[in-house]
Amino acid sequence: MDILESLMLGFSVALTPFTLMLAIVGCFLGTIIGALPGLGPSNGVAILIPITFSMGLDATSALVLMTAVYYGAMYGGRISSILLNIPGDEPALMTTLDGYPMAKNGRAGDALVLSGVASFVGAFLATVGLIFLAPMLARVAYQFGPAEYFALYLLAFCTLGGMSSNNQAKSALAACIGLGIAMVGVDNSSGMPRFTGGSLHLMDGIDFLVAIVGLFAIAEVFFFIESHGKASSIGVKIEKVMIPWKDIWHTKWTMLRCSLVGFIAGVLPGAGASLGSFLAYMSEKSIAGEEGKFGTGVPKGVAAPEAGNNAAAGGALVPMLTLGVPGSGTTAVLLALLMTLNITPGPTLFSERPEVVWGLIASLLIANVVLLLMNVPMVKIFVRILQVPPWVLLPGVTMISFVGIYSLSGSYFDLLLMIGFGVLGYVLRKLDIPTVPVILGILLGGHMEDALRRAMVIADGDFMYLFNSPISIGLWIAAVVGFIAPMFLRGVLKKPQRITD
Amino acid sequence: MKAPMLKKIAAGVVLSVSMVGSSFAAECIAPANPGGGWDFTCRTIGKIMYDIKAVDKPIQVSNMAGAGGGLAYNHVVAERGDDADVIIAASSATATRLAQNAYAGMTADQVRFVGAIGADPGVIVVAKDSIYKNLGELMGAIKANPKSVTFAGGSAVGGFDHLKPLMLLQRTGYTDIKNIKYIALDGGADAITQTVGGFTQAMTGDMSEIVGFLKAGEIRALAVLTEERIPGFEDIPTAKEQGYDVVAVNWRGMYIPKDVSDDTFNMWADRLQKVADSKEWKEAMVANGLAPFTKVGADFQGYVDQVVGEVRELSKSLGVIQ
Amino acid sequence: MISDRIFGLVVLMVSLAFIASATQIQTSFLSDPVGPKAFPMLVGGIAGLCGLVMMIRPDPDPQWAKGRTLIALFVAIAVLVAYAYALKPFGFIIPTAIAAAVLSYQISPRAGPAALAGIGLSVGLFVLFKYALDLGLVAFPKSWFG
Repeated sequence: MDILESLMLGFSVALTPFTLMLAIVGCFLGTIIGALPGLGPSNGVAILIPITFSMGLDATSALVLMTAVYYGAMYGGRISSILLNIPGDEPALMTTLDGYPMAKNGRAGDALVLSGVASFVGAFLATVGLIFLAPMLARVAYQFGPAEYFALYLLAFCTLGGMSSNNQAKSALAACIGLGIAMVGVDNSSGMPRFTGGSLHLMDGIDFLVAIVGLFAIAEVFFFIESHGKASSIGVKIEKVMIPWKDIWHTKWTMLRCSLVGFIAGVLPGAGASLGSFLAYMSEKSIAGEEGKFGTGVPKGVAAPEAGNNAAAGGALVPMLTLGVPGSGTTAVLLALLMTLNITPGPTLFSERPEVVWGLIASLLIANVVLLLMNVPMVKIFVRILQVPPWVLLPGVTMISFVGIYSLSGSYFDLLLMIGFGVLGYVLRKLDIPTVPVILGILLGGHMEDALRRAMVIADGDFMYLFNSPISIGLWIAAVVGFIAPMFLRGVLKKPQRITD
Repeated sequence: MKAPMLKKIAAGVVLSVSMVGSSFAAECIAPANPGGGWDFTCRTIGKIMYDIKAVDKPIQVSNMAGAGGGLAYNHVVAERGDDADVIIAASSATATRLAQNAYAGMTADQVRFVGAIGADPGVIVVAKDSIYKNLGELMGAIKANPKSVTFAGGSAVGGFDHLKPLMLLQRTGYTDIKNIKYIALDGGADAITQTVGGFTQAMTGDMSEIVGFLKAGEIRALAVLTEERIPGFEDIPTAKEQGYDVVAVNWRGMYIPKDVSDDTFNMWADRLQKVADSKEWKEAMVANGLAPFTKVGADFQGYVDQVVGEVRELSKSLGVIQ
Repeated sequence: MISDRIFGLVVLMVSLAFIASATQIQTSFLSDPVGPKAFPMLVGGIAGLCGLVMMIRPDPDPQWAKGRTLIALFVAIAVLVAYAYALKPFGFIIPTAIAAAVLSYQISPRAGPAALAGIGLSVGLFVLFKYALDLGLVAFPKSWFG
């Protein structure tokens, strides 16, 4: 069987003591980068690229190191999400929803181990998918035109209806804030700036990392100052870290389903891992229904987004390797690395440079195992973070956020924006307006508008073009039947709980 | 208890200061996020400069995304005016934007263009099963019914990729360019995917973006927008030989701040020339579909001025700018 | 009640302003069928509606910060803004130490530990970012060394 043969070739390239060491170093660095707010997988990988040059690594070794960092950062993002309610990077956003409540209940250790296992399952299944399906899946991207992408993003926004428990207007408002922010900058389809006030800093729009770090990390610091540490996870007594076998067993189907959802989202060039974890979480939430108690710290709510985003990270490698289309910010950086190493990704990569592709796949498998082995024992160390006195921890988090954002463009402007988002996040959370839809709006809003406008250019303004293919019709049906209809049916079936209060 | 700890910290500060003083590696600013052409320019040229020992420390690449390169341009003009240790990646897109006044009024003479050492030739491609077999057929179809063809490209409306088909049509005497359909995607590879998928009929982009797809036989290149056919891709005809006199290449080069000494200018020009002559760069060019295009030193500034002037005229006549 | 009503009103005003400025967006020579204005106006419209709903059906008021806590919050914001402006001209170490120390003091008002936390974090983070992650940070302004 030639896949096995190729895989053997891959392992023979990737399993030397030196590359193994690189994988371990990469996993470790990646985990830390992922956990630090403001430093996500994409700038993490970008920061470390010069190191591969100064070490004089050959193509395979450089790739092993970088993919280890990539997967490591995907694992690491969950740590600060769970412990501090601050997503280390955008794919870890959804993990805050149930991970942080779990930590507040004293189950930080369980949440970290469980999410580590879920990450492993997601990443492992995605790598397997990459091995067996990559050349075939590459064709999927050819089936997605502007109309299909528009329907996909629409589906993502429709799931927001299930986001907030009692006030739909507030989650819709949050999404609109995000969408409004996404409109800032040069409009791709007309080449003209919008809402920039003539400022050069706003021409490329507002970086979603700035928004995430502001809305979460900075706002969290404000909350802490206000409450003097009450109602936070810091200092909560933690029971001994054990492996929560029961939770892992109970979430097995969740992990499998979410891996599939995440993988598919990753394969489609678009928003990559963030969309993967979002769709994974929301679909699990609607499957579980009201009794599932999503949002209150349930194991399924932790397993779902982590399996989803790690699977999406693997899935995003499919279009990158086979088409040269980056499915996410991080794969864009990996793509740049490949080009610098004189490897041109594209349809012929698998046949022309098998040692690179299979070496990469083997190193993904290795990195994944290393990460699982590294992460479970390290949970004991991670939870110690909560024992650091808050007067060191919170300034620390703030300063790390500043450096992370400062490294994006080296300007004070992004920092001021971040502080602004911090204040906004504080007010929104005070008023019980969810902040996750804001980020979603920023991440996907621009894509959604572009997709619609491209579709209309192609179709000369004929709206029926949006329902032109089985794929887009299917996505529209999923959006309406799965998410919009239940919103109204809920009101019909059950008396609203709160009419006036 | 406290005093020794403070001492340690003080020692740490001193240590970090002395370490900073000694590590001034040159910096290459890529005015975009990692992964794009400018990032490639910085990383590849930086790496080769170090590999061939033209510089003694690895060049540190920093990404300064914003305003299509405008933020970095502004940064260099306003704050790094005499910094001898900084180079900035540039390309035709830089010149296009300067010409279209997209950098908030900043002009090409506010920096010094050191040189370009490679160029990405413009191409027009269609899917392999397309009904258009050559440039003439495609142009003819557009003239007959402009709505029948949508172009996909990796730059925003009015950008370099968009200008290419407009220039070609202008040569045929077609003036009603408002009818030409173009969609702006997030990059060349995206644009090809849409074209192979049949959502758009043709793609306008750079050679480097299509190499992989060309080898796999997914697409057919109708024309390359250079003077001569490109080595390694001799079977692709130029637009010129098909009767459309359009040359559009996306050069890859560097600029430095304006107020550096002539010695510094010559030093960077010399380093860039060394890279251009190296076999590493030749390999990188072949692997990435770049064509040789070396203009280094004083005459490059003249070339940039000329390009800026041309694009400005063109943009005006096309109505992209007033 | 009143918080939601005020916020709803603010949202409504901002949405209207957003829509108003959307009408001013330049259109280029080639306009697509949808155009650059439609989407922002749609978003502004929905946001305005949500603001109205918040005014008509407000939720119970949250507990807002008062007195010294409120002052502490404003101090924190002021420190962060000052820090953002100071990073470039004064290098990393000194502004970070000061900002971290002040924040630390806000959380636990003891001068000694706060100062230590500031200096420790500043130097520690600098070493971490500069040498472990190779970020291009500047410890002190270049001009201080001639």
